[in-house]
Parts: sequence; C-alpha cells; structure tokens
Amino acid sequence: MNTHLWLIPLLPLAGFILNGILGGALIRRTQGPGKAIVATLAIGTVVASLILALVAYTSSLHAPEHRLETEAISWISVGTFNVPFSLVLDPLSGLMALVVAGIGSLIHLYSVGYMWKEEGFARYFAYLNLFVFFMLTLVLGGSLPLLFVGWEGVGLCSYLLIGYDFETESAPAAGLKAFLANRVGDLGMVLGMLTLFACFGTLTIADILKDVAHLSPELGFGILTFATLMLFVGATGKSAQLPLYVWLPDAMAGPTPVSALIHAATMVTAGIVLVCRLAPLFTLTPITLTVIAWVGGATALFAATIGLLQRDIKKVLAYSTVSQLGYMFMGLGAGGFAAGFFHLFTHAWFKALLFLGAGSVIMAMHHEQDLFKMGGLRSKLPITFWTMAIATLCIIGFPGTSGFASKDEILYLAFQKSPWLWAIGVAGACCTAFYMLRLMTLAFLGEPRDAHAFEHVHESPVTMTLPLIVLGLGALLAVALGWPTAFGGNFRVEAILEPSIRFGQTAQALHTETHGANPVLLATVSTVLGLAFALFGYLSYRDGLGAAEALTQRFPALHRLLFNKYWVDEGIEFLVLAPTRWLANLLWKLFDVILIDGVGINAPGALTMVTGDFTALLQTGRVRNYILGMALGALALLVIFLR
Amino acid sequence: MPEILTGNLAGYILVALLLFVIGLGTVLTRRSLIIQFMGVELMLNAANVALLAFGRFRQQAAEATTFYLFILAVAACEAAVGLALVVALFRLRGTTDSDRADSMRQ
Amino acid sequence: MFLTFALITLVGALSMARQSNLVVAGLSLVLCFLGMAGLFLLLGNPVAAALQVIVYAGAIVVLLLFVIMLLSAHEEEQAERNSPIQRWLGAAVVAILGAGAVKLVASSKLLASFKALPGSVDPGPVTLDAVATSLFQQHLLAFEAAGLLLLASMVAAILLVKKEL
Repeated sequence: MNTHLWLIPLLPLAGFILNGILGGALIRRTQGPGKAIVATLAIGTVVASLILALVAYTSSLHAPEHRLETEAISWISVGTFNVPFSLVLDPLSGLMALVVAGIGSLIHLYSVGYMWKEEGFARYFAYLNLFVFFMLTLVLGGSLPLLFVGWEGVGLCSYLLIGYDFETESAPAAGLKAFLANRVGDLGMVLGMLTLFACFGTLTIADILKDVAHLSPELGFGILTFATLMLFVGATGKSAQLPLYVWLPDAMAGPTPVSALIHAATMVTAGIVLVCRLAPLFTLTPITLTVIAWVGGATALFAATIGLLQRDIKKVLAYSTVSQLGYMFMGLGAGGFAAGFFHLFTHAWFKALLFLGAGSVIMAMHHEQDLFKMGGLRSKLPITFWTMAIATLCIIGFPGTSGFASKDEILYLAFQKSPWLWAIGVAGACCTAFYMLRLMTLAFLGEPRDAHAFEHVHESPVTMTLPLIVLGLGALLAVALGWPTAFGGNFRVEAILEPSIRFGQTAQALHTETHGANPVLLATVSTVLGLAFALFGYLSYRDGLGAAEALTQRFPALHRLLFNKYWVDEGIEFLVLAPTRWLANLLWKLFDVILIDGVGINAPGALTMVTGDFTALLQTGRVRNYILGMALGALALLVIFLR
Repeated sequence: MPEILTGNLAGYILVALLLFVIGLGTVLTRRSLIIQFMGVELMLNAANVALLAFGRFRQQAAEATTFYLFILAVAACEAAVGLALVVALFRLRGTTDSDRADSMRQ
Repeated sequence: MFLTFALITLVGALSMARQSNLVVAGLSLVLCFLGMAGLFLLLGNPVAAALQVIVYAGAIVVLLLFVIMLLSAHEEEQAERNSPIQRWLGAAVVAILGAGAVKLVASSKLLASFKALPGSVDPGPVTLDAVATSLFQQHLLAFEAAGLLLLASMVAAILLVKKEL
C-alpha cells in the first residue's frame, strides 16, 4: 500500500547514480549538450519527486488521520529490536517534502546558470540529487534509525558540497568542520535514540508516540528529559545553534546555491523537523522545552549581533540563518510547534531567495563577495534587487509579510513563557532589521565603490532570475498559511499540522500560562522597533561607509568584539582542538610507538633473536659437545626410569 | 671378601660398566680424534665383557661367543673406516683436533 | 685372580684416558685388552681370549699405531679456546654414571644371586667346536652378512684415503 511513496526519495537517488556514473564522461565528450542532459536529468528527478509529493499530500488529506504509510519492509530484526523500512507522509512530513522538493527544484534550476562554467558540473548535480534523496528520507522516515540515515546522509552531502572546490584550501577545511561539528551533535542524537529505545522498546516513531500517551509523567520523567535533551543536542549540531553553530558561517565556502538549499532551507531545518516529529515527547518534558527556548533565544541574539558587522555578503546571510533558526527553536520551546514550523516554512522561502539573490550579485560582480566593494547595483540588477527587497521585508517582519506573521507568533508565545525571552527576541529582530538594510543598502543603493567591477555588471540569465521570481512570489503568498488569529486570521498552519503534532495523543493539549498579554500590543512594539532599526541601518549606509566608520572609531572595543565573532572559533581552537591534538600526540607517542610498536612488536622480535642467539651457542659444530648432550639426555632418562 | 670381588656375575658387570663409563669419559673429555677412537673401542669392549659374562653365567657361552665374534667383526670394520676418515680429515685440515672440525657451527 | 685382571683392565683404561702421548695411550689400551683377555680366560672362554688378543690387541691397535705414526700425531695439540664447560660436564657425567653403576650393581639382588662356581655347575670351557657349531649352523646368515660388511668397509676405507682414482 502506498508504495508510490518510495519513489519520492528514490527518484533523486536514481538521478545521483546516473549522473554520478555517466555524467562526468558525458560532459567530457560533449560539452554543452552533455551539461544540458545532466542538468535536465537532475532537475527532472526532483521535479518528479515534487509532483509525486504533491499528489501524495493531497491524497493524504483524505486518509484517516491525514496519514499515508508505506508497508514496512523488515530491515533490522534482532531479538526484540525491530526496525522496519517505512515511509510516513503526514502533514508535517508532507509539507517538508514539498518544501524540500519544491525549493530544491528551483535551486537545481538556478544552479544550471550559476555552475555552468565550473569544473565538475556532473559531480555537483549528482551530489545535489543525493542530498535531496537523503533529506526526503529524513523527513519521510517512519522510524528513528531511518531518519538518522537521512540525518547522516545530509551531513555527508553537506560535507561533499561545501568542499566542492576541493582544490582550494578553505573549502575542504570548511567541509570537515561542518562534518565534525555535526558529529558532536550526532553523539547526542544517538544517545537520545538509545534512551528512547530503552524506554519504549521500539524506534518506530508512530509506536513511540502512541506509547507516550500511556506513559504517566512521573514514571519516565527523568529519562525522557535526558532523551529529549540528547536529541536536542543532535538538533543543535545540525541546526547550528549555540555552541555548535560554528560550521555554518564557514560553510559559505561552498557554492551559493548549496548555501541556499542546504544551509538555509532544508538541512539546517532538520533539527526543527525532529523536534516537531516527536512533539508529544517534548511536550512531556517541560525542562527540555525551556532549555530549547533559551538556547534558541540566545542564539538568535548572539548571531544577529555578529551579523551586524560582517563584510562578506554570504557571511551576513549565514549568521542571519543561525539567528532565524534560533527563533524557530525559541518558538518550539515556548510550546508553539506549529509556530516554529511555520517560521521554518516562511524562512525557507525568503532565505533561499536571499541566498540566490546574493549568488546573482556575486556572479555579476565576478565573484566579489565583499559588501564594501559593492554599491549602486540596483540599476543594473533590477530583478535581483526587487526580489531581494521582498525577502528583506519578510525577514524584518514588515507588517503583512509572511515573516511578520511567523516571527510575531513566535514572539507572542515567547512572551508567554518569559518576558525576558521576548525582549531577547525583539533585540534580535532589531539587529536583523539593521543588518539586512545594511546589506541591501551597501549592495544595491548608493554609489558604486568599485567602478571597474561595476562596469561589467549585468543581470543574471533567466535560469537564475526565474527561481528568484518564483521564490519571491512564494514568500509573499506563504503568509496565507499562517496569518495570526490576533489579527483576524485563523493561523491555518496549526490546524494543518495538528494531526502530526498531536499524533496518538488523547490527552489535553499543553496549556501555557498566559501573562495576560495583548498580542497586538506586543506585535506593534516589536514591529515599530524593528522598522526603526531598519531605517537606522538604511540611513547609516546610504551615503557610503562614512557614518559607519565614525561609529567604529567611537566604540573600538565593541567593534573588535563583534567583528571577530566574539573570538568563538579561537576559543574552540584553544579549549578543545589544541588539547585534543596534544592528547592525540601523546597517545600516539606513548601507546602506539612505545607500547604497541615497542613492547608488542619489537620486543618479542628482539626476544626471539636474543633467545635464538643464546640457543645457537649450543650448536658448536663439535661432535664432542653433541655427544655430551646425548650423554646428558641418556643420564636424565636413566635417572627417571630407574628411580 | 665380598663375592663381588671374587668373580661372580656382579663383579664382571661392574667391570664392564666402569670400562664403559671410562670410555665415554674419554670421548667427552679428549680432543684428539684418535684418543676418542680408542675410547669408542673401549666402550665396545665393555659390552663384550658384559656379553660374555652373562653368557657364561647363564650357560649360553657358545652363543655368547658367537655374538662376540660378530661384535669383533663390526669393530674391525669400524676401525678401518673410522681411521680412514681420520686420515682423510687430517689431509683436509692438517689436524686431528676434533674441535677444529666445526664447520657446522652456528 | 679376578681382582688382578680387573684391576689391570681398569688401570689400562684409566691410563689411556689420561695420557697425552698418543703412543703411550695406545700401549695402555693394549694392556687393557690383555687384562680383558685374562678376564675371558677366567670366564672359561679361551676362544674369546685368544680372539681378543689376536684381533683387538694384535690388529686393531696395530692399525691405530700405524695411523698415529702416519699422521705424526703423537702429541695432543694445544686447545684453541679453553672453555672448560665440556670438561666439567663430561667429568660430571662420568662421575654420576660411575657412582650410579657401582650402586646399581652392588644393590642388585638378582646379580648377586649368580655365584661363581668354577667347577661345580660348570659346563666346562667353551670349545672352538661349540662356537663353530653355533656360528655356522644357527647364525650362518649373520656370518655371511658380516663378511659382506667387512668387504664393504674395506672398499670404503680404501676409497676414503686414496689420493686419485
């Protein structure tokens, strides 16, 4: 039943295999046409997945509990440990699958233009397809191990794609950093999974969620809290929260479409998907939710402050992504699973759009990424400018945009959890507004700062601008899914997601205590502040860098702190990496060289040689001595037998 | 006097054993190949004594003598071949020191 | 009588073992053999005694002395390296075996039961007749084999020492 669900992830996998094996040779032989074939194949599989996902989603709406499930194929079956292969399409995974396949196909299309002149065209598209396969496995997986396969797989593809330019020094290093930071998180993920298995005896998500309802809170409280905290640690690694966010800014070394797809719209959202998936579990552990909310809030503010001063356009967007992910977690932690997910949804549209737009700018400026060298590009890159403007409006929470709806819903829920949390969120929003307007002003408005580069700027080809337009429309239209109830909407996304989030639950929904706050008032305050900071950002930079430099002179220490990203990377190097290297060196010298090589291997060898040399003394070559040996032996025998 | 000293079987066997031990000691202790050969002859003769003594005291002296004849023949052959070997070795090494014949030494 | 001949034999043997002059060693070996011939006579075996003198003392030792003269090896040479362990261990083996032999023989009841009775239960001295009967009737094959062995050893000895074919 529902075996067509398997095609959704497997089609991109087929694309990976075909492009991976044949693509390179094809392109080497027939340059242009080969590339076209490779691209068409890659885009085609993802679009096909999209169509299938759409069909499946609409049919799931008529299914009981809005849920389609494939028949379980036995995978691991050891004693009582039973993990089947099975895919589940419910509202949560269905929406995610649509996002992944939809935005994925737009980015595939965009990549054609962006990567046309690069080496390894086929390799790029093969990896991109592989990524889509793994991501779909992650969202559609019916059991935690299958989800984990997808989880690790997207980490792998992230590594492969970040290090795409493997002949440079920075790209592979960044890929390795991403992989290692993810690995640290994965430890938490595995511990969480094991703990859940110990609790529930199964790792199939549906079974776990059904059992949760029967679990009385007192019984499993401590263990569940531990399990969910560990799972959140895993989410921290994948979704770049404090302290495991350090890989995301470095990941900008990869091609821009990769940043858009993986590090904005899909992979980094895997953590949020995980939490939403297991929402009933998290609902039972308020401590974990509090941790999630505060970590998210802290990350949101922290990253936003760093983004204020970055010069590289992609790094600004990277820190912005970390910050926005923090908002999503803040929403989840405040009990608003639907709100957090809705922000994920809207963020996917506008952040992907921002990244692709940035890619367009970078291409136009011939791979220049420094904002301080741009300026006045609005006249030459109109489509890019206007679409990015739409995305900027969303991200700063301009009233009426999807970003406004999702962010303010989160801030409202955060206020109900703790007013301080709300304040942090608002501070972050102000920083967001500032740096986004800073980016737009420095890049598109004002006078060009590098006249020579400016002359060669031209708008990108239609394969790149079309996705920008589509994403812009999507960003604008996404608001329809979640217009807040406070402003007259019905926040439909909550109703849509309810079958997923409350799967298997019969108990009442979690009620957060309200602080009696007025959502309209809160929203007004945050929006006004945000717009004020946006204006501040525009005014600071519209005449060039002068005002900003003046500010730098007045607060040199603060400037240095922010510009150097709070020296977090250096701190990690000092506290974690250097001691680890020292320890590894010590272990090598001590255990490997001395113990294993010396005592284990060389010593027996030397011992054998010494024993041999010693025993060789008996072989004098003289018959007399040999006769003596015989006589001694005979004597011994006589003694033994005549006793 | 104890009967062993007046020629009963035990006396002859004792003589035979002592001769054998002396012969073995000669082979083990001396370096000259010829002296070692003499020691070997001595060991053979010790066996002869024991053989003939047992033969006499068990009323099978004729058979014992027959065997004695065979041992004699074998000893003669061994003497011939052994001394030929000594001569050959002397021609090769210029010495009859058995300790010099150690080319199989490790 | 027995004691005399036994002592002669043993003294000859010891002398041979300790002599450094090879010729004197050879002569003491002859003495030893003569003592043994006497012992054989006491055992009532004149055939064996005669053969001992003729073959051993008369042929084998003569051959030995010829070789000694041929090789001019009348003095034993100096040792190259004087590791004493061989000598000590050899002496130790000799001592243990010798002491063990004495003890064994002296304490053996079985051996003691055989009494020397020249004359009483004595079947008389061995005659050449009896030996010949035993040799040529019962052990003829062995006799022929011994002849073959002698032939082989002659050939071998000649081959070993000749200078050219």
